[in-house]
Amino acid sequence: MFFIPGPVIAMLTFPGVIVHEAGHLFFCKLFKLQVYDVCFFRFGNPAGYVLHEKTDDFNKSFFVSMGPFFANTLLCVVFCTAAFLPVWELKVNDPLAYFFYWLGLSIGMHAFPSTTDLSNLWAVAPVRAKQGNLLALISLPLIALLYVLNFGRVIWADLGYGIAVGILGPIAIFRAFARA
Amino acid sequence: MRQGTCCECGLTTTIRSFHSFTGKTYCEPCLWKASQQASEKGEPSEYISLLDNSVCARCGSSSGDTEDYPTIGRLPLCPTCASQVTNWPYPTWLKASLAVLLALLAVALVHGRRYFHAGRSMYQGERLVEQQKYEAAIPYLREALQVAPGSDKAALLEAKAALKVGDVEEAQKTLKGHNGGHFEDEQDPRFLEVRGLWERALQAVDKAERASKLAEQPGQSAEAARLMHEAASVYPEASGLAISADLLDEGAAFERKDYDAFVAVTQKEWKERPGPDTAASLASALACKYATTGNADYRQQSEEMLRKADQMTQGNIQAMKSFEEYAERIHYRLVSREIIDKPEYDRRFRQTSQRK
Repeated sequence: MFFIPGPVIAMLTFPGVIVHEAGHLFFCKLFKLQVYDVCFFRFGNPAGYVLHEKTDDFNKSFFVSMGPFFANTLLCVVFCTAAFLPVWELKVNDPLAYFFYWLGLSIGMHAFPSTTDLSNLWAVAPVRAKQGNLLALISLPLIALLYVLNFGRVIWADLGYGIAVGILGPIAIFRAFARA
Repeated sequence: MRQGTCCECGLTTTIRSFHSFTGKTYCEPCLWKASQQASEKGEPSEYISLLDNSVCARCGSSSGDTEDYPTIGRLPLCPTCASQVTNWPYPTWLKASLAVLLALLAVALVHGRRYFHAGRSMYQGERLVEQQKYEAAIPYLREALQVAPGSDKAALLEAKAALKVGDVEEAQKTLKGHNGGHFEDEQDPRFLEVRGLWERALQAVDKAERASKLAEQPGQSAEAARLMHEAASVYPEASGLAISADLLDEGAAFERKDYDAFVAVTQKEWKERPGPDTAASLASALACKYATTGNADYRQQSEEMLRKADQMTQGNIQAMKSFEEYAERIHYRLVSREIIDKPEYDRRFRQTSQRK
């Protein structure tokens, strides 16, 4: 196991941080929540943030907190898919393909929501689930899983997630494509 | 800015430094004590920070002591900040980056069309290999290799397919032409499988070459046939080796004048691969039986097979030419009941005719 300081990782994968924060901002705007401050990237911890109004609506909280997870995952699949064949399967030295793979992995690596976001959701999800909120009920296992994975960042769980999505996603797409 | 006073210590300063707890105003140190005491007694210990509504919570600008800023999301905000927080704009650089990224993605998709095509061919080839349709897989994999000659996967799949249909030459071309025969992961099961197949094929080719050389020497056809059978059993995927072994069996049977065996081998060949060559071979074997026994049934059967071979060669000039040469000798055998091999036949009849 080797240690690389967080700011260095953030710098190497800065597009992922920007996309993550842009995702938070997008969902805040979508749900008309006030945004007090936004930092898309900085050399510090956290590398980016969005300070926004709190809401009692679980659905809004869920999408504002988890939106970047879905958006980053989707964009990771899109960019890695554009580069997957030349980089992994065909072994063609195409700089544009490598650029997209880096971009895709950087975005995928920053998909995990922050521990604070997950804690906030975890605090209200069981209550809302008992009140019959279906999204809260469905999201409980996902929140729990991401909470655990978030701790796994020290052992590169975030990078592992990015790689898994960036490889398995395109493989699934191309397998289906080949069978079509 | 508005002032406040702590209910415990009497400190007076700006109201933003105070907190409200159980309806009373506390400074920070007194709040901690009061909150802790309440907590120890099991009473609620929640508090809220006091806001000065004449001061913008975001930029700190003051509206003057007489006027409050409107609150948005519980916070007092000046008009500029209020407009910003209710409709936070996406920065121009972010929008520009997104546009550039989308343009690049479009370029990548257009530029990558040939990769998608090659990838699709490779996956189709892979699927056909998995279904053991090796012959059908080769054109797809060849197409993939044209775009991606460096792909280990495509090269190994193509080599495997070629080796599975007995095309050693094609496999050799692919394997040697791939990064000078170098593969990234030599422990990859796909690589190990192809290596196993390749080694078997080389062993078989070596035996087949030795068998061919022996077959050219007089009296060695039995040994040549044995070696060729070994080659065929080492590498059964190459059906050509089994055919060669059968042909050598024919030669060996003819050489030792074992015409029953000659008939048996040629009958087997005719049954397995009906064609002009096998029909003519069976006609030849039956003619030998007629020559040695005088049994007219053999002659009739031989002539019947010659007719079949003749019909099968129609339209194929090369095959017709070869058949004519062969048929001439078989006819001679049937007419004279004398069994002579080709060199002897050529010596007796063809050199003379050439001289004429």
